[in-house]
Formats: sequence, structure tokens, C-alpha cells
Amino acid sequence: MARLLCIPVVLLAAMLTLLLLERGDDHADLVLASENEVFTLDPQRMSWLGDMRMAYALYEGLVRWNPEDFTTQPGVARSWTVSDDGLTWTFELDPSAAWSDGAPVTAHDFVWAWKRLLLPDTAADYSNLLFAVRGAREILQWRAEQLAAFEPGPDAAAALLAATDARFDDTVGIRAIGPHRLELQLNHPVPYLLDLLAFAPLMPVYRPAVEGWELDERTWETARTAGWHAVEPPPWSQRAFVDLSETTGRLQPDHGWARPGTLVSNGPYVLDTWRYRRDLQLVRNPTARAAGDGMPDRILLLSFPDPNTALLAFRSGEVDWLTGVSSDVRRDLLDRAAAGQTTGEPRLTRSIHAVPAFGTDFFSFNCRPTLASGSTNPFGDAAVRRAFAMATDKQSIVDYVTGLREPVASTMTPVGSIAGYTPPGGLEYAPEQAVDTLVSAGWTRGDDGLLVDASGAPFPTVELLYTTSSARHRRIAAALRDQWSRTLGVDVHLVGKDSKAFGADLRAGDFMIARGRWYGDWGDPTTFLELFRSTDGNNDRGFANADIDAALDAAAAERDPQARMRMLAEVERTLFQEHVPLLPICQIVEVTMHDPTELSGMTTHPRLVQYLGDVRVSEGVAP
Amino acid sequence: MTPLRRMVTWRLVQVPFILLAVYTLTFALAWLIPGNPLQRDEGRRPPAAIAEAMQAQWDLDDPWTFYWSYLGDVSGVSWLLGDRSGPVLEFGPSLRHENWTVGEIIAGQLPISMTLGLAAMLLAVILGVSLGTLGGLKPDTWVDRLTGSVAVIGVSIPAFVIGTALLMAGGVWLEWFPIGGWGSWRHLALPAVALSLPFAAWIARLTRQGVIEEMQADYVRTARAKGLTERVVVTRHVLPNALLPVLSYLGPATAAALTGSFVIEKVFAIPGLGMHFVDAVLGKDLTMIMGIVLVYSTLLVLLNLLVDVLYAWVDPRIGVGGGS
Repeated sequence: MARLLCIPVVLLAAMLTLLLLERGDDHADLVLASENEVFTLDPQRMSWLGDMRMAYALYEGLVRWNPEDFTTQPGVARSWTVSDDGLTWTFELDPSAAWSDGAPVTAHDFVWAWKRLLLPDTAADYSNLLFAVRGAREILQWRAEQLAAFEPGPDAAAALLAATDARFDDTVGIRAIGPHRLELQLNHPVPYLLDLLAFAPLMPVYRPAVEGWELDERTWETARTAGWHAVEPPPWSQRAFVDLSETTGRLQPDHGWARPGTLVSNGPYVLDTWRYRRDLQLVRNPTARAAGDGMPDRILLLSFPDPNTALLAFRSGEVDWLTGVSSDVRRDLLDRAAAGQTTGEPRLTRSIHAVPAFGTDFFSFNCRPTLASGSTNPFGDAAVRRAFAMATDKQSIVDYVTGLREPVASTMTPVGSIAGYTPPGGLEYAPEQAVDTLVSAGWTRGDDGLLVDASGAPFPTVELLYTTSSARHRRIAAALRDQWSRTLGVDVHLVGKDSKAFGADLRAGDFMIARGRWYGDWGDPTTFLELFRSTDGNNDRGFANADIDAALDAAAAERDPQARMRMLAEVERTLFQEHVPLLPICQIVEVTMHDPTELSGMTTHPRLVQYLGDVRVSEGVAP
Repeated sequence: MTPLRRMVTWRLVQVPFILLAVYTLTFALAWLIPGNPLQRDEGRRPPAAIAEAMQAQWDLDDPWTFYWSYLGDVSGVSWLLGDRSGPVLEFGPSLRHENWTVGEIIAGQLPISMTLGLAAMLLAVILGVSLGTLGGLKPDTWVDRLTGSVAVIGVSIPAFVIGTALLMAGGVWLEWFPIGGWGSWRHLALPAVALSLPFAAWIARLTRQGVIEEMQADYVRTARAKGLTERVVVTRHVLPNALLPVLSYLGPATAAALTGSFVIEKVFAIPGLGMHFVDAVLGKDLTMIMGIVLVYSTLLVLLNLLVDVLYAWVDPRIGVGGGS
């Protein structure tokens, strides 16, 4: 028996040892939490909203947004000029801007970061953000082709890289004219260029940190005073975080630089700790140019994968700001908040916020003439798509199914999200007109109430593809099934798949109708409308219309901003009154929690970019 | 060589072969997961040239290349053969969480899962053996029924219900414990209790059964006849024999507890490996799946071996020859 007792004793000893290795937490002024952890802190690799929120705290771009109305204001660039033809932009950089290690932020930092965004080696999701820049698309394609045809050989990789650099300098319209002047040359005028430049993937990065340069002290000193471009980059063997592969010719980045200790940033905060799936802490950057009074000194980011636990943590006061709250968790709170009631749990009720965001929930129609199975696609006919759109009662979906009372949408661009642009109306709920439209498309309701064509063949069973990741999608899909079968007499079959399988089907065009959602990236309708260009990489619907492509081109060439907006509104009107490549359901609503008596400076603009340095924390009042 | 040493050596020799089989099987299953770890399911997609370049960079265009190159890197064989380009004895970077290598993630999170698992097992043993002994000594009395119902509750209430209830009680109402997270014993207490309950319930059942059987054995009557007190009879004679089934249950149970519980980790926001593994599978993060499965398998094989050795040590009557 004594021997048996050894087991728990050994267990206990091992356990206590492991626990003693843990270190305590520092006190943070602002604690935010979300369901997901941060994926990357490398701005050029970012595509998630949560990551970008960190980028805006860590980095400062040429310009930044005014969180009130999302106009742009100076960032690292103090001023800028545009040539008369709108094609050449020149930015004057603030000479006092510095990296957190003390080195100056120069035009070369921007050139290098944007080159990094463009080269296929970085594999940036957002490399096409810069495609309006002269030569940008071409350099990406050129290097991708060269890499695909790469033959290993002595110094072949280095030679290709040198050729790429030379080609970039010669052909791409991104140039440093001296350390503090940056010039951009565009293919065509881009009225929203400044808005683009405030976007996270275009933040500068510090090359010596990203590549992990190992330099001697004297060279470091030169780099820190004059900028890294003043020194010779070390040989590949002395760059800790990048390698040039002799077999593929590719730059092979090691993402290990974007971590505490090695990440160098130029924004209001620097990275203090980051433990995967545990916590991430930011502290004030000592070299930041602009420091607002009362900025939180230390920010802690936590992730709570379980929405219930996240809400409990907010309730107990451990979390100040909770993003991505699941609407299923406390629908009663949302209802109470919407009704303006403060009885019951006053702090929770005043803390829940449902904010319309810069995105739209929709269902994509497969617009191709035939389905992946080879059979004829009824949704290849725009009239059928229009009929389904008019047979959809969106208001009842947001009132009773989602429970969030989102603003219903009949077009892609959310109302009120882009200054100077008013989206036109699309198709409204009109069940009788929906049936008439189907009749005009050759489909009639037979005696048994089912839809048949002239030869008596029934309308194919409609397959509605959705992701099983959230109950919301299933519920909306079920509501659509009921509405369509009731109004149109079609047989609708729900196909639920996990997000991986769903994504594969979507990319392969193997669906009839599939759920989707899209967030805008820049403050211009093109962030939504370019999706309908036949050649767009995100055109899952297979929608191709030469008139729409031509109209988008014409709008891009238009110099008068107001005329251009009118042209885009016309494109959107045509798309959603005639072609209906997708069925918009509603504007996306983000549910967040913060107590307005404790936190201020929170944005409510649909763009929902929250600069963490703008948040002010005060001690809470009554519970 | 003693039989014990021979058994241990033989079992250790088997380890690489077991791991190779596990690697191959896991790889085959993981490759069949639909989708592509480098593609995101929603949001803007990169240009096609970039997507293709990524595929090639990670050998994701050809299962055989991936299988052999990854095997070579992980086992160190590539390094021994003179290829210094890949990682050595390392699982490489995670395909879905590029800022971290699989090794870093496992090194950071396995200790957390293990601490939680050990605490839970310790609680389970104390709770389970006490309840089981009480019940077994007085079968079919109110004591037995009480301990029995506690055990049934432990087994049948789902972990997320117990977890949320514990958080409500201990975190929100009493404010004794933090809501989720990790870093001190206060973070450990609630999840350890929640995780221990089903194990405690099983141990209680096994103990009770063992005690009831052993109490009817001849040696118990002999012990009583020679005048030993009931306490001595139970602790010296009955329990060591009654607990043998518990011991054999402890091996796999400890392995299960140590490798993390998806539900408990999710409810208590504990950054352990259990949740990570589920995410890796859902995201088809091949390197992460392979890394975690290999580490788990090694742990499982070694724990089973440890239990067999302990068996022999606790009860020398049990033979150790070649797994007999």
C-alpha cells in the first residue's frame, strides 16, 4: 500500500513543479478579448480583422483614418501632393518618425514593405491592393513565372533575385526620392488611394528586424542613425529570418521575427509578450511620435474560445472589451438593450452593442450555364435569380431568425458606410412578382403546386450549400427553404458542410446556391463591386458580363469623383435589379461588449477600425 | 538480464516501429481531410500565382514528397544524410499558425495540459478511492447509495455543463477563482475539479467492486481471525488487492487526462493541446496534426510501459515476461 501511495505523491510533485514555472501577469489598463487568437503580427501577411487591430496599434502607415468619419489624416506622411493627371503622388515623410529601436522611419521602409507585399515569395493575400501602381501586377507575375521555371544552379537564385530587384527599380512606380520623400506612380487615377494607404497590409516594416540581420555594433550604429538603406545587407547566412533557397530560387521567410524581442514597430505600441493562445500584451512605444493623454499604458489581449466563458469573464470584470460576441449567448440582453430597458442587469444591458459593420451577408447564385455535375443550371438564367430574390422576405429573417435585427440589404454596399456614395435600391420582397417572373422565364406551377417547365419537367431540386460552423447559417438556410418552397413551389435541399469542404466546393463552382459574406477593405464602392468583374479572383459565382466589366473600367477612368460615384451606383443598380449574381440578405452586425461608463473613444462607424491608443479607460461607477 | 529489464528493453525497441506505423496511418488520414490548409475559407483570396507558389513551397502538391521529406526532417534522417536545409528532429512550422513552429506550440501547451491532467488525476484518485472504499465496505446501505449517486453524476453530466456551473459558482458568485485563463493554482482549481469528476466516478466504481470482492476472500477471514482491527484489515490487506484494477485503469486514464480535454480547455479558456489538436484537424494543419499525434503516441506508449512496470513493482506476483 505504501508503494501505491507513491503514485499520487509523484504526480503531486511533478504538478507543482510545472506550476511553479509559470510567471504571474502584469497589470493591464485595458483588457480585450475575442473568440480567436491573433494569427500573425506581420502586416503584409494579414487578412483578419483581429490581426489588423493589432497592426494599427503596432504600426503607423503613411496616413491614418479619422475614426469619426473615416476621412484620412496624416500619419508618417506629413503632407502629400498629387499631379494634375492624378497619376503621381508624392509624400513628404516626418523626419522625426522612428522605429522602436530608435532608427528613423524612411521612404525606403515603405518601398521595401510594399515590394514585400508584391513578391510572390511573401504570399500576401492582399498583394492586389497595389495593382493600381504602375508595374506592380507585372512584377508579381514576372517573378512568379520565373520561379515556376527556375533551374537550380550556382548562384541562380541570387541572380534571379538581383534581376527582380533591378526590374522592380526600373519598372514599378514605387520610389524613394531621398530618405523622407516617397513617390507613387499609378496606372490610372485612384480617388481612394489615401484610404488604401491607411490599411494594415500597407504598413511599413523594419527590414533588419524582418530579415533578422546580424551586424556588428558599428554597422548597427550607422543603420540606427542613417537608416538601414545606408548599410550593406549582411550575407544570407547572417540573416536569421530569411533564406534564399538554392533549389526553388525563392526567398523563404521565417515568420519568427514577428514575436516579442525581435518585432520592431513604429506605432503607438510595441509588443511585450505573446504566448500562443494565452495572451498578448502591448506596451507604450517610447519612440512613438504622437502620444495622446491618457492612452492605456499596457493592453492585454485574451482569447476565449467559448462564448459563454467570454461573457462570464466580462461579467466578472476581468475583460473590459469583448468583440465578436455570439448573438446566441444572450439574446435577452440584446432584446433588452434594443428596447431601452435597464432593469435586471444594468451593467450588462448597457454594455452590449450591436453595431452595423462594413460587410454584407448574402447567398451566391451559381451563374454558370451548367452545373459542376454537367446538368443545366436553372440559375444561369437571370430571371430565375430575380424571382428567387423577390421571393425572399429578408425582414422576417432578421426579425425572427437571426434575432439581431440587422438592416436588410438589397445591394452589396452597406448604406451609410462610404462618404459620398448612396447605394441604389435592389429588388424588394414581392412574392407575386416573383411568380410572374418565373412564368416569364418559362416555369409555371403545375396542378400539384410544383414548378414545371413547358415540357412538364420539374424544376430541379435546389441545393442550398451552407457552413455548419454556426447555427446562424443553418437557420437562415432553413428559412430560405421554407420561403422559396412556399412562394415558388420549388423543392429545396439543404446541404451543410464544414468550412473546409464548403470552401473547396465554392472554389470549384460545385454548388447551386451557397452562403457567403464579404467585408469591404477600402472606403470605396469598388471594394464590393470589383467582385463582379468576370476575371476577379473572388468571383465564386462564375458571373461574367461584358457590360459590367466595361462599366467598371469606365468608372475607373472617370476623373470627376461625383460622376464616378454615379457611374458606380449605376453598376450596382444594374447588378442588383437585373443580373442578381447574389442575393444580399443583410448588413453584417458585430456584437461587442464594453461598459460605456468605463471605456470611451470607441468607434461606432461601420468600418469598425478601432485604434487602441484612442481608447480611454476610467474607473467603473455603479455596477 | 532480469525479466523486467528484458521487457523494458524489448518494448523500447518497438517504439520507433510503432511511431512509424502511427505516422503513416495519420498521414494517410490527414491527407484525406478535404480542403487546403493554406487557403482561407472566407475573405479575399490572393492572386492565383501566389496560391500555387505556396502549395509548392510546402510540398502540398504531392503527398509522397510531403510524406518522405517530413519524415526525413522529423526523424533526423535527412540531416544524417547530409541535407542541412530542413529542420532537424523538429515538426516544422505550423501551416495554419505561421508565426509558431509545431515544436514551440507543443512545448508551450503540453505542460499546461499535463499539469491540468495530473491535478485532475490526483483528485480523481483521492476522491474515487475514498468514495469507492466507503461504498464497498457497506454495500447496499445509504452510504453506498450516496457515494454511488455521486459517481453516477460525475460520469453522466457533460463536462461543459459542470464547467460552466463551476465558473458561475466559483468565479461569478463567490469570486474566488478567475474566469478562465492560465497562470496560477487559482486558474487550475476549477478545471481540475471538472476534469477529475468522470475519472473519479470510474475509479470509485472499480474500487467498490474490488473491495466487495476482496472482503469475501479467505485471507480476510484469516486476518480477522488473528485479531487484526477492521482498519488494518482494510488498509493492509484488502485495498492493495482491491486497487489493482484501478491501477490498470490509471494508465490509459492518465494518458487521456494528460493529453488534454477539448471541452474543458475550451470552457475554461485554457491554452492546452487538446483544443489545438481539434483545430488542427479541422484546419487540415498537416504539420501540427503529425506533430501532436507523434508526441501523444510516444507519451501513450511510454505511459503504458510505465504502468506495466509499476504493476510488477506494486505486486511482485504479476509476471513481466514479454508482455504475457
